[in-house]
Amino acid sequence: MSAGIEIAEVSKVYEGGVRAVDAVAMEIRAGEFFSLLGPSGCGKTTTLRMIAGFDTPSSGEIRIDGADITRVPAHKRDMAMVFQNYALFPHRTVAENVGFGLRMRKLDKATIAAKVKAALAMVELSGMDDRRPAQLSGGQQQRVALARAIVIEPRVLLCDEPLGALDKKLRQQMQFELKQLQRNLGLTLVFVTHDQEEALAMSDRIAVMNAGRVEQVGTPVEIYDRPQTRFVADFIGDTNIFRGQRVTVDNNGTGIAAGNGLVLELPGPPAAADGAVLSVALRPEKIRLAPKVDTLHPKHASANGTVESTNFLGGAVLYRISLDNGHRVLAQQPNAGAGQLYAPGAPVMLGWTPADLVILKD
Amino acid sequence: MGRPVGSHINGLALLILPSALLFALFFFLPIGLMAVMSLLTGNPVVVPHIAFTTKHYQRLADDSYYLEVIWTTIRIGLWTTLIALLIGYPLAHWMARIKSRAGHALLLMAVLAPMLTGIVVRTFAWMTLLSDKGVINQILLSLGLIEKPLQLMYNETGIIIGLVHIYVPFMVLTLTGVIGRIDERLEQAAENLGASPLRAFFEVTLPLSLPGILAGSLLVFALAISAYVTPILLGGFQIMTLPILIYQQISANFNIGFAAALGMVLLVISFMLVVAYNHMLGLVSGQRELQ
Repeated sequence: MSAGIEIAEVSKVYEGGVRAVDAVAMEIRAGEFFSLLGPSGCGKTTTLRMIAGFDTPSSGEIRIDGADITRVPAHKRDMAMVFQNYALFPHRTVAENVGFGLRMRKLDKATIAAKVKAALAMVELSGMDDRRPAQLSGGQQQRVALARAIVIEPRVLLCDEPLGALDKKLRQQMQFELKQLQRNLGLTLVFVTHDQEEALAMSDRIAVMNAGRVEQVGTPVEIYDRPQTRFVADFIGDTNIFRGQRVTVDNNGTGIAAGNGLVLELPGPPAAADGAVLSVALRPEKIRLAPKVDTLHPKHASANGTVESTNFLGGAVLYRISLDNGHRVLAQQPNAGAGQLYAPGAPVMLGWTPADLVILKD
Repeated sequence: MGRPVGSHINGLALLILPSALLFALFFFLPIGLMAVMSLLTGNPVVVPHIAFTTKHYQRLADDSYYLEVIWTTIRIGLWTTLIALLIGYPLAHWMARIKSRAGHALLLMAVLAPMLTGIVVRTFAWMTLLSDKGVINQILLSLGLIEKPLQLMYNETGIIIGLVHIYVPFMVLTLTGVIGRIDERLEQAAENLGASPLRAFFEVTLPLSLPGILAGSLLVFALAISAYVTPILLGGFQIMTLPILIYQQISANFNIGFAAALGMVLLVISFMLVVAYNHMLGLVSGQRELQ
């Protein structure tokens, strides 16, 4: 039932030469929760609209289960979309909204009624059949939109920031429900969002997009722990980025001279020629802090610094630290209990393992 | 919501005073006078002994000629409205959905430009097109498509053509506003769920634009049944409509009472339409508006 999608070198150039989508290539597997993540204007919604058939690519091909659908009109694609504003038909009841796609498929009335009932039960809206969309809360409208989409058992479910308008608590709940529904039904789901936490929490794989191009495709863990480009490292979560010339350390190891004597040792075999300029990323929570007097494990590369500000987040504490070489870094520590906070002005030692450093493409 | 009457006078409420005065002096007063005149035996200013009477209305009801005039007026109004709707809707839809700003401006100009010319001028222009020796008939004759000139004016067809041309802009402008407010994503949602573009239009756009269709039709109908210049020129006095009849009663027959009664009929027709419009609107929009 669910289908895979191939997007082959698809570009969309609007009148006036604006390149909204630039040679995007990706493969979305059948039954996968796939997110398109990026800032507004990165081309993620245009890509989704081209998959849905509302926009036609200027070049490239879109295939579904191997068949080219680039020029197939939207109503023959057998996909379903949940719109950002839900796009419920205001002049129809909840049941009529949900049954719309079934009616277009010319099913008989009894079948439609049974399927609508089941779909409404699935999204926990039983008994709301005769309401109008305007009589529902935002969360309920969202569920109706979802029910309307899944009831036709689409080959692909497309979601354009469907949770964007909900408040935080409800959004989290809907994230769980949508994810569970997708897994239970084995749906191929393409999910557009600018919210990186949402993408990380729900997706099987994520394509991070920027300025019309795909920066990286990978699992949430890969995207977060192994960002390939500076943009991905910056966009997903907080990150510290060091930039400097490659140097040789300890006879054979590779390091980066980050300035004023700070040398960061890199993992693995030499990544580039001596003297090449590299950027590396280090996540704040991979940094361990210790009072200046303590000694860190010798394997941990280290630096000294002074706490500039302390942000207590509840489950964790985020420090802004000014290193002795002039760099500013963020370091996040789990909340270990009362009295364990470093106050602003406290001298600290910072430690990390070279394996946590990620070399970035610029 | 029981608010104590007169306890607070909102300063802003005073702003409505000029328009309230205007309405009272130039709308309710004249119509009230007309209603009274239609029930008097004569003009109280010039005739000393007058009494209340229903004779004007009786004359209207007894003579089938007048009923025929009323029906002709309504029929012309209905045809004008229907044709203006059929021409205006696609144009309005196009205008509401056109992406380019320049395109929208051009369409708007095209719709509004005819309104910059006087009705008389436009009606004379139609006469040069529609008459027996007019452009249309001469072309058809020279092409051999017809043997003798088609009767395009001095009949209802001519009047309707002229009225449609004059009142289409009202239809288009009313509809454009309503269609423009319909979210395009609703049509896309319908197509996404398997409706062809045409089906999506009939399932979503058309029902949601019904308020505009009703409002535009009401406007055009009311204007068409009260039109005077076009029916006279393009009808050539062959077709009698209510406004022409009213004018004759006043200018030729000096029968102000009967003219007032005819005026009341015209008013009542329009009023019934407004009531029907509100009722229909309540039905099509369902509980949405009633909440």
